[in-house]
Amino acid sequence: MNGVNSYTHWVKSMFDNKSHPGELEALEGVRVLEVCALVLGPSACDYMAEFGAEVIKFEGQKGDNMRFVTPYDYFWKNMSIGLQIQNHNKYWVGMHLGNPEAKEIFLEFVRKADVVVDNLRPGRMAQWGLSYRELKEVNPGLVQLHVSGYGSWGPWSGRTSYDAIAQSMGGLPAITGFEKRGPIKSGVWIADWITGLACAIAILTALNYREKTGEGQFIDYQQAENVIRWLDWTWVYAGLTGKDRPKAGNRDLAICPSDLFDCKDGWVAIAAFTEEEFAGLCRAMGREDLLEKYRDPLMRLPDEEARYLLNIICQWTKSRRVEDVERAADEYGFAASRVIDAEAAYHSTHYRQRGAVQEYDDDVYGHMVEHAYPPRMNLTPSRIKWACRPLGFDNEYVFKKVLGYSTEAIRELEKKGVIFRWNPSIPCQNPPPDWDGKKGLRNGGGQG
Amino acid sequence: MTDRRIAGVTVDPEYARWAFEQTRPQDVRKKPEALDGLVVLDMSYGNFAGLFASSWLAEAGAKVIRIEPPQGDIARKMSPYGIMVKDTGLAYLAEGRNKFHITLNIKSEKGRDLLRRLVEKADVLIETFRPGYLQELGMGYGQLSETNPRLIYCAIYTYGQYGVEAELHGSQPGYDIIDQARGVIMSVTGEPELDPEVPSEYKKPLKHGNWMGWYAGGAWAAFGINVALLFRNRTGRGQFLDCSPPEGLMCMSNYIMQYYHIKKEMMPRAGNYDYAVFPYTYERCKDGYVFIGAYADPSWQGLCEIMDRPDLAETFPTPKERLTPANQPTIQHEIEKFTVRFTSDELLNMVDEYNARPDRKGVVVMGRLESPREILQREHWKERDTFIRVQDPYYGETLIQNSTLKSMSRTPGRVKWLCHPVGADNETVYREILGLRTTELRKLERDKVV
Repeated sequence: MNGVNSYTHWVKSMFDNKSHPGELEALEGVRVLEVCALVLGPSACDYMAEFGAEVIKFEGQKGDNMRFVTPYDYFWKNMSIGLQIQNHNKYWVGMHLGNPEAKEIFLEFVRKADVVVDNLRPGRMAQWGLSYRELKEVNPGLVQLHVSGYGSWGPWSGRTSYDAIAQSMGGLPAITGFEKRGPIKSGVWIADWITGLACAIAILTALNYREKTGEGQFIDYQQAENVIRWLDWTWVYAGLTGKDRPKAGNRDLAICPSDLFDCKDGWVAIAAFTEEEFAGLCRAMGREDLLEKYRDPLMRLPDEEARYLLNIICQWTKSRRVEDVERAADEYGFAASRVIDAEAAYHSTHYRQRGAVQEYDDDVYGHMVEHAYPPRMNLTPSRIKWACRPLGFDNEYVFKKVLGYSTEAIRELEKKGVIFRWNPSIPCQNPPPDWDGKKGLRNGGGQG
Repeated sequence: MTDRRIAGVTVDPEYARWAFEQTRPQDVRKKPEALDGLVVLDMSYGNFAGLFASSWLAEAGAKVIRIEPPQGDIARKMSPYGIMVKDTGLAYLAEGRNKFHITLNIKSEKGRDLLRRLVEKADVLIETFRPGYLQELGMGYGQLSETNPRLIYCAIYTYGQYGVEAELHGSQPGYDIIDQARGVIMSVTGEPELDPEVPSEYKKPLKHGNWMGWYAGGAWAAFGINVALLFRNRTGRGQFLDCSPPEGLMCMSNYIMQYYHIKKEMMPRAGNYDYAVFPYTYERCKDGYVFIGAYADPSWQGLCEIMDRPDLAETFPTPKERLTPANQPTIQHEIEKFTVRFTSDELLNMVDEYNARPDRKGVVVMGRLESPREILQREHWKERDTFIRVQDPYYGETLIQNSTLKSMSRTPGRVKWLCHPVGADNETVYREILGLRTTELRKLERDKVV
């Protein structure tokens, strides 16, 4: 066994010993109230839920809009796949906070919570009397995060923002796409996912501060600004040269070589920046002659030099198979990889071994295979415990466990329409057609 | 009276005013910092995932010690076209923020000794070497956690620290393009597979223009470190974090893997379309591009009315027809025939007018595609201090993006200084943290340890 493998096996043993379900969870005891819909807000809560936070999600009568957004308009067992992807391990309550009685109940929850997250239009919570001003009166240790396209104040506050608008207002498509072609939107709702992640970082940072002082706080996060923050050297470049960063396809304008190349049987990404790595690549190509001039990485970065070198590499890969280039990279110490698609990732032994793709049996929907959030942590790994749920699925459990309500009190709230469950005539709010009326409900909390 | 500079078009101007008071940019420096007192060693090398991770912590007040080899981190040379400002490239200038930049030769025994002493005082260590490299030098997690069990050790690497691919490719360096290629999202990003008007040489996977692999990896690391800090506070236990940037992208790849699980079918690269919401796309116009969102039936009918194309509403009446991959290029191009006749401003006005009509069918959403220079001119970003110009005594005036944690009401994130040259903080760090005397430090310099 070589050195690298004895190390990786040692790391693996550290994880194997600790990652049994039911073991430690890093965020156990952190209670999050999610007043969110779509992807942005729910993803922020999802990241914390997979590391053990107790997330209680509140939905209005119609339900989260993602119940109606699913690829090819395909519903699986009544479930929208678009809803599933950012909603794991959550407790589902049907209660609209605009209802005055619901508002008072929500404040009871707030007393017992650590975090409230909303991604409604800025000011909506305030209209219901539930902005941080009111929430901190009942719980001074509360962390409340609001996120929207342009935040709670400023000339554009309140403007509609979707993921694709946050991308385009933040400048991402302007720098994404092939040279001399149009701008390209991310293949996924990237501005939602990365801003949800940034929100989770902000919330955890605030919780870490609260550990020292007991003080909560209000956080006003802007989605489009987050996209701006992630565009690395775009702004320094504009400030220095007065120019827009151009689109360059898969070529990296700041690292050379770094690009995607055509092979006989597909594409391969290659990068080699240090002298040592570049020398390795040159040896693999049988082009040690290039070393003399291009030893120093800075010599490879001027536009003409970069194009010259990338073209040489392109000629080399063209007649090879992807796998051959990857092997050469292993041997010569530069970087090369195929493009991994959904199918390859789904079947990857590597991702399964690492818990990056997890298999679980959901009480309501059955067998599931999904990606779980990083990083892998040896004491407190992320775990997917259950999938999304029909509207109001956990009403009874949550009201009993968190607020100590009696069954009668819960029936009363249902009668008044303060809390509600799925509407049988709207399939995407409902359990699977063959649901037995019990599976997945907690605390024996069957209705009636 | 509402001041539009503060209230914008919000539903509750009074709330906007209150939120402004809570997060006013002018007050940031008067407030405390969330992670004050936390010591972070950032040993990343040639890797902006590590640098972005430590930026989150540095913006929140942690003392981040950036450890570079004596000749400097090669990440300083990763700069567009090779443009350098003195010893440093443009990307590093943006992520050097608030950090103490020291040098240390970990290949020498004395250097390793200094590192061990630093680790004793540290809460967090970030590294981006190939798996096992630090352990070979006697400074892996196994060794360091013995002297400091509270240490949170975060290793960032493309293939992770274990698993079959880590064993296979553990000799390779990590790069953004590789992280993106392995992160699944790139396989569905790019020009649309099924559009006959796209030349075949463009029908291939496309990376995001920025270092999305590195930045996602770095943000996941910062997230994990914050999670581990909370856990440590309760239990006193540090732990080992294995952060693989491609996994950080894969878990953001929308519904494609779940769809594969259920149907055992792949989804083709959609280009600017979307298979769950459409129209939800970028369209060419006279002076650039616009975003159009009109995916619910009433919105779609509204858009067709604006374009005066009742035939389209009839041919593609429900999401079923609009979300069919084969139909999407047609719909895209039919909309484009309309939008290319107008400028983005004309289109935006048209949509605003339509949305204000009492007899509108549904709300159509339209947005602009902004260039970096346009973004830099916008009042909103000026009011919110999204960009700052730092007057640096060494690098000169430099424009960078501000901390996005600045709108935390109690402990706003901030940028205190830009970047420092290689080894600029050796004096401060080695004397203050390790208590070295000047003569000792000079000797280390002579021995090329620092």
